[in-house]
Amino acid sequence: MALLAAIALSSFVLMSSPTGDLAISSIKVVSSNARRYPNKKQDLAFVHFNITADLTPLFHWNTKQLFLYLEAEYTNSQGVKNEVVIWDRIVRRKEDAFIKFVGKNKYMFRDPSSSFRNIPPANYSLKYNVMPYVGVLTYGEAARTSEAISFPPTQSRL
Amino acid sequence: MFTEELKAFKRLGFRHVLLQVLNFASVIASGLMIWKGLGIITNSESPIVVVLSGSMEPAFYRGDLLFLTNPPNELYKTGDITVYKIPGADIPIVHRVLETHDVKPKRSSKSKSKETTSSEVAANQRILTKGDNNYVDDIELYQGLEWLERKHIVGKVRGFLPYIGYVTIAMNDFPQLKYALLGGLGLLALLQRE
Repeated sequence: MALLAAIALSSFVLMSSPTGDLAISSIKVVSSNARRYPNKKQDLAFVHFNITADLTPLFHWNTKQLFLYLEAEYTNSQGVKNEVVIWDRIVRRKEDAFIKFVGKNKYMFRDPSSSFRNIPPANYSLKYNVMPYVGVLTYGEAARTSEAISFPPTQSRL
Repeated sequence: MFTEELKAFKRLGFRHVLLQVLNFASVIASGLMIWKGLGIITNSESPIVVVLSGSMEPAFYRGDLLFLTNPPNELYKTGDITVYKIPGADIPIVHRVLETHDVKPKRSSKSKSKETTSSEVAANQRILTKGDNNYVDDIELYQGLEWLERKHIVGKVRGFLPYIGYVTIAMNDFPQLKYALLGGLGLLALLQRE
C-alpha cells in the first residue's frame, strides 16, 4: 500500500512538459444531412492539420499511456463557449511518443446551431492526458495555434 | 464441528454477546459514515466506482477502481473522463468528454437575481462523450437525449487504482462468494473473544 502511494507521489516529481508544434493547413465547411434527422441540414467542418510533438518527457515509470487530443475552441456570438475534440490518439510506448502526423479530423466537427455561418474564428490546441499505472490523472497542453483561424463559407460539396 | 466454539459462546454470557453485536454494528456504521462523508466532500453520489466494461481500454480495464470528484461550480473540459448515469439505464458509464457547449442558462421569471452564478452555468453545460475503445460517440447510449447534462453526471475521474475492484465484480458474478465472505466476516466478529 505504501509502495503504491510512493509510486503515485513520485509521478509529481518526475513530471515534465513536452514541446510541440501544431499548424492548421486548411479548413473546409461542407453542407450535409444531420445524423438523426435526414431532412435537416448540418454543416460539417473538415480540418487538415500537421502535428509534430515530442512527448517522450512524459513517459516515466508510472506512465501507463498518453491520451493525446486535438481540440477546437470558439465562443459564438451569443457568448456560448464550445470545445470540440476533432482528433485523438492513444500513445502507449515511449518509442511512439515522438508524434509526426499529417491528416484531417477523425470526429465530426459541427456546431449545435447546425451552421458555421457567423461563427467567430476558432483556436486549436493539442492537449494530453497522462494516465498512470496508479495515482492521479494529469492534463496538459503540448501545442497551440498562434492565432485563431476562421471558418470559410459553406460549400455544397467537397 | 462447532461444539468447541458453541461452548465458548455459552461461556461468554449474554452481555458479552450483546457487546460483540454492538461492535459489529459500529464497524458497519463507521464504514457507511466514511462512504457518505466522502460523498459529501466530493459532491458525488458514489465517489469510488469500479469499471464494469471494456469501452475505455487500454486506459481502464474491468475491475479497476476510480476515484471521482464533482465540484458543483466547475465546468467539465474535453479530455476529462466522466462517469454518468442516464435515467432508465441501470449501470453508470465511464467515458471521456468529446464536446462541451457552455449554453447560457435560460432566465426564468421566478429567479430574482440578475447574475448567473458559476454553478448555474455549470448546470447548463452540454456534453458529448465517447469511450476510448469505441468508434463512435455515445449519442446512441443517451436514450433519446441530444446531449449529456450536468444532472446526469456522477463525477470526474481523478485517481486510479488498478484491479482492486475486481473483488466486487467477482462477488456479483458468483453470489455464493458474497454470502461466504459476509457470513465468514460476521462469524468472525461474533466469535472474537477480546
